[in-house]
Amino acid sequence: MEQKTGIFSIGLIRGLGGFAAGTLIGVVFTVLVRVILGLPAWKPEPAWVVGVVFGTVGFMLGTGVMNDWIKWAKGEETSEHPEADPRLKGWAKYLSVSYDHKVIGVQYGVTSLILFLLAGSYALLFRTELAATGIQFLDPKNYNTMMSLHGIVMIGATLLAVGAMSNYLVPLMIGANDMAFPRLNAFSFWINIPGAILLTAVWFFGGMDTGWTGYPPLSARAPLGMDMFFLGVYFVGLSSIFGSLNVIATIVRMRARGMGYFRMPIFVWTAFATAIIGLTATQLIGLSFQMVLFERVLGMSFFEPAGGGNPILFQHLFWFYSHPAVYVFVLTGLGVISELLPVFARKPLFGYRWVALSSFGIALVGFLVWAHHMFTSGMAPYLRVPFMYSTLLVAVPTGVKFFSWVATIWEGKLSFETPMLFVFGAISIFLLGGLSGPPNGVVATDLHLQDTYWIVGHFHATLFGGFVFPFFAAIYYWFPKVTGRMYNERLGKLHFWLMLPAFYVQSLGQMQTGLLGMRRRIADYDPALNIQFSQLLVTIAGFVIGLAVLIAVINFILSARRGEVAVPNPWRSRSPEWQLPSPVPEHNYAEGIEIIGEPYDYGLEGSAYVDLRPAPAAAD
Amino acid sequence: MENFPSLRFAAMSSVSQSRPQRVLIASGHPLFGQGLRSLLEARRRSIEVIGVVSNLEEAMQALEKHSPDLVVVDYDDQRLNREEFLARFLEGERKLRVVLLSLSDPQNALVYDRRRLAAAQIDDWLEEWTVAVPPEMPGKPVAPAAETQPDRRKSMKHLIVASILVLLVTALLLFGMSQVRLLPEAASLQARPIDRMFNLEFTVIAFLFSLIVVFMVYSIVVFRRKKGDLSDARHIEGNYRLEVVWTAIPLATVLAFAYLGSQALADTTRVDPKAMEVNVIGSQWSWRFEYPELGITTNELRLPVNTQALLRLSSTDVIHSFWVPEFRVKQDALPGGKEFIRNLRITPTQLGEYKVRCAELCGLSHYAMEAPVIVMTAADFQAWAAEAVGLSADPVERGRKWYTTYGCNACHSLDGTPGVGPTWKGVYGREEQLSDGSTVIVDDAYIIESIRNPGAKLVQGFQNLMPAAIGADLTDQQLQDLIEFMKTLK
Repeated sequence: MEQKTGIFSIGLIRGLGGFAAGTLIGVVFTVLVRVILGLPAWKPEPAWVVGVVFGTVGFMLGTGVMNDWIKWAKGEETSEHPEADPRLKGWAKYLSVSYDHKVIGVQYGVTSLILFLLAGSYALLFRTELAATGIQFLDPKNYNTMMSLHGIVMIGATLLAVGAMSNYLVPLMIGANDMAFPRLNAFSFWINIPGAILLTAVWFFGGMDTGWTGYPPLSARAPLGMDMFFLGVYFVGLSSIFGSLNVIATIVRMRARGMGYFRMPIFVWTAFATAIIGLTATQLIGLSFQMVLFERVLGMSFFEPAGGGNPILFQHLFWFYSHPAVYVFVLTGLGVISELLPVFARKPLFGYRWVALSSFGIALVGFLVWAHHMFTSGMAPYLRVPFMYSTLLVAVPTGVKFFSWVATIWEGKLSFETPMLFVFGAISIFLLGGLSGPPNGVVATDLHLQDTYWIVGHFHATLFGGFVFPFFAAIYYWFPKVTGRMYNERLGKLHFWLMLPAFYVQSLGQMQTGLLGMRRRIADYDPALNIQFSQLLVTIAGFVIGLAVLIAVINFILSARRGEVAVPNPWRSRSPEWQLPSPVPEHNYAEGIEIIGEPYDYGLEGSAYVDLRPAPAAAD
Repeated sequence: MENFPSLRFAAMSSVSQSRPQRVLIASGHPLFGQGLRSLLEARRRSIEVIGVVSNLEEAMQALEKHSPDLVVVDYDDQRLNREEFLARFLEGERKLRVVLLSLSDPQNALVYDRRRLAAAQIDDWLEEWTVAVPPEMPGKPVAPAAETQPDRRKSMKHLIVASILVLLVTALLLFGMSQVRLLPEAASLQARPIDRMFNLEFTVIAFLFSLIVVFMVYSIVVFRRKKGDLSDARHIEGNYRLEVVWTAIPLATVLAFAYLGSQALADTTRVDPKAMEVNVIGSQWSWRFEYPELGITTNELRLPVNTQALLRLSSTDVIHSFWVPEFRVKQDALPGGKEFIRNLRITPTQLGEYKVRCAELCGLSHYAMEAPVIVMTAADFQAWAAEAVGLSADPVERGRKWYTTYGCNACHSLDGTPGVGPTWKGVYGREEQLSDGSTVIVDDAYIIESIRNPGAKLVQGFQNLMPAAIGADLTDQQLQDLIEFMKTLK
C-alpha cells in the first residue's frame, strides 16, 4: 500500500519546522541561563544569537540528513547504498535529502541560481538609486544593508555553484559512482539553507552597514543584523570546508583504473586545487567573524584599541581567507573553459600538464598575497612591497592558462554553439578583469584605486569572466547530460549577445568612474564628479544583464520539461560522462570503466580514452 | 574480408582472458549464421559460438542457458523483431554486449552494451549508425601525418597577419584611451610618479588585451569548422619551448613592474623635514583639521601650495580614510590614539578647491563625509592662519565655531530639520522624553552629560550613535561656549 505523501515528507519543510523549533528552544534557553546567572532575563543579542544557532541544529536534524550518523552513534546499521525515498516524486525529490551526488549537484545548482536572482535584484535596486545623484528611494541605512547583502549573497551563490559543478562532475569524470562521502555531501549542501535564511534575516534585525567585509570597529557597533550575517557566513563556510574535503578524498582515492593524475579531465585538476584552498583557508573567515561576534556578545576586545586590540589584525585574518577565496570562485570556471575548448575546437588542450599544474600554481601563490587588500590600511609600510611582488606573480600561472587557451583554438576547427560562445566571452572578460589587477597590485597606483569603483569593476570582471560566464557555459554544455533534453539554442544565443556587450559597458563604466573619484559603498555621489552619465549607463547595463539571466532561467525551466530529447553525446566529447546515457543512470558506471588513452587526443586517428566495458570476470 | 568489421573484441580487452569469449548469433538467414560462425571459429581459438538462433524465443532461451558475452544480430533480418529483442535485453540483468551487423553495409556496425535508454531514445538510437569498430586496434593510435611544407608556410602566414593586427589594435586602444577622461587632473607632487606608473600600466594592458583578443577573434573568423565537417583538427599537444618562453617573459615583466612600482612608492613617501604638520581627525561623519604649530582647529583643510604637508591621520571611532582624488595618495585613519596615528605626505602643486571624501565605509553617512580642501599661495595661507588663530571673545561665536569644527553639524540641525540626532532649534530648556520613558529638562547639566557620556540619557526615537571620543576632546570652556550658542537657537 502506497503511503500518502504529506507535506512533512519533504525534507526542506521538516527542516524549516526544525529551524523554528530550535530557535525557540535556544531563545528560551538563553533567557533561563540569564535568569539563573542573576542577569536581566531578556537581552536581544545573546538570545537571538544562541537562538539561531540552535535553530540551525534544529534545521539539520529536521531534514533528516543526520539520521544515518545518529544511527551509527547508537550502534545501528544503515544500508550501504541507500536508495531514494520512493514516496518522493519529481521535484519533491530535490527538496529532500538525497545521497546521490547528481541530485545534490542539481540541488546546489538550483539554489545557487535562486540566490543569484536574489542578490542580482538587490543590485538592480541600488543601481537604480545610483543612476542619478541625490537620495531617491533607498535611504542610507537600507542602501548599506542591501549593498552588503548583494556582496555576501553573490559570494554564497558562487560557492554553491562551484559546489554544483564539482559535485556533479568530479565523480563522473573520474569514473566513480559517487563521492567518497555521500552523507557528508548531503550535509554540506543542506547547511547552506540555514546560512541563507540567516543572511536574509539580517533585514529583520536592523540591517548591517559594513559591507560584506565586516571590518571592526564598525562591525562591533553595528545593529543585530551583523550577528545574523556573521553566523550565516559561518555556516556557508562549513559547507565549503566539508565539501572540499569530500572532493579531495574522491579525487585521490576513487579514480578509475588507468586514470593517472595526468589523464584526468582538466576540470578535475581545477576542482582539486579549488578544494585544497576551500579546505584550508575557509576557517580564517569563520575565525575572524567569530572574534567580532565574541566582541559583541561577550565583551572581548581583539580589535578594539580601547581594550588593547588592533583593528588591522582583523583585516589580516579576514583577507588570509578572502583572497584565496577568490581563486575558489574562479578556478573552477577556468577549468570549465579548459574543458570545453578542446571539444569545440576538436583539438587537444595545448600543454595539458602545464595547464593542470598552473591551477596549483595559482592556488599556492594565492595564499601569499592577502595584504594587497590592505595597502592603505595602516599596516607596516615596508611590508607592502613583498606583497606587491607576490601579487604580481600570480599573473604568471594565469598567463600560462590564457596562452594555452589561445594555442588550443589556434588552427582548430571551431564551432559556435552556446556553450562555446560563453567560453569565448569568459576568456575576454576574465582577461579584462585580470589586466585591471596589476594597477591594484602596484602599491603606488593602488593608493589612488583602493576603495573606488575601479576595484568594483576589477572584481566584477574577474568574477564574471572567471565564474559567471563559465557557469552558464557549463549549464548549457551539461544540460543535455543532466536532464536528457536539449536547451533552446536561440534563447541561449540571445542570452549571450545581451549579456556580453552589457557587461563590457558595465565594467568599463565602473572602472572609469572609479578612476575619476567614485568611491565604493556609497549611497550617493557628488555631482561635482561629473559622472552621472556613466552611472546611468552602468545601471542600464545592469538591467540588460538581469534580463539576459532571466531569459536563461526561463530557457532552463522550459527546456528541462519540454525540450527536445537529447542524443547521448551531442558535443562528441571524449570525456567519460558523455559515454553514458542522458540522464545519467542512478549509479553512474555500474560496472566501472578503464582509461586507455589521453583525454584530449582529438585529431589522433584511432585513439580512445574511455573503455566502458568492464574487465572480464575471473569466473562466470 | 578485410573490410568487414572484424570482431577483434577479444584482442581489445586489455586483460588476458581465462576462458573463450562466448558468442550467440541471431539470424534467420542460413548464409549469415553459418557463414559468420565459420569465420569466427576459423580466426580465433578463443571464440566459441554457442549457437545460431533464428527467432526471439530461441534467443532468450540461449541467453538463459549459455550466458554469452556477445550477441551478433543480423540487422537485415526482418523476422527478428529488433525492438522487442532490445526491450527484452534491457530488462535482463546480465552483462552483455550486442552488435548489429548488416551484409549490405560492411563498413559499419551498431554496438550496444547494456545501458539504460529512455523509450524515446531507443528509436533515435536505432535510426543512427555509429562508427563503432575502428580499422586499427585501440591503444595503438595512428601517428598524425607529418607537417608538410605548405602547412608550415600557411601557419606562418596566419601568425604574421595576427601579430600585425595585434600591433594595430594596441595602437587603436591607446588612441581610444587618450581621448577619454581617465584620471582627474594631477594636483600633487606625489601624483607624478603615480601617474607615470598608470601610463605604463595602461600601455601594457592595451597590448596584452589586444594580444589575446586579436588571436582569439582571428581564430574565430579564420579557423571555423566547415558545415558538415565532422573531422578533428590537427593533433597538436603542446610545445615545451613555447611554454618556457611564455612563462619566462611574463615572469620577467612582473618582476620589472614590481621593481618600478617600489621606486614609485618610494617617490610618494619622500620626507621633507620641513613639512607642515596637520592633524586630521575623522569622526562619524565629519573631518576636523588641527594645525598644532599654529594652534588652529578648522573643518576645512587649507594647504599652502608647493609645501609638503604631513597629515597625521586618526579617528575618534571607526576606520575612515583620507582621499583627495587629485592628490592620488590615500591613507586610512585609525582609532586608538597615539600608536595608531598614520602619516600621509602631500605636496599640493596646483591652486584650487578640492574635496576630501572618506574612502572607507564608516556607517550611515559615509557617502556624505566630506570636507573642502583649499590650496592657497603661501602668502594667502599666512594671512588666513593669522586670522584664524584669533578666537572670538564672544562665547556664542566660539560655540558656533565648535559646532562645525567638532562635527556636531553632521547630526544636529539648527533649523529644525530632523537628523541623526535631535535638532538644536529651541533645545535649551526644552522638555524631552527619554528612551526609558522618563522626561528631562535640557539644561546645562543635561547637555554636559550628554556630550561627555553620550547615550546615558538618550532621547526617545533616536539611536545612540554619537561618538564617545568627542566628549573627551572638548574642554570645559568649549562646552560652555556650546551651551551659550544653543541658548541663542530659538
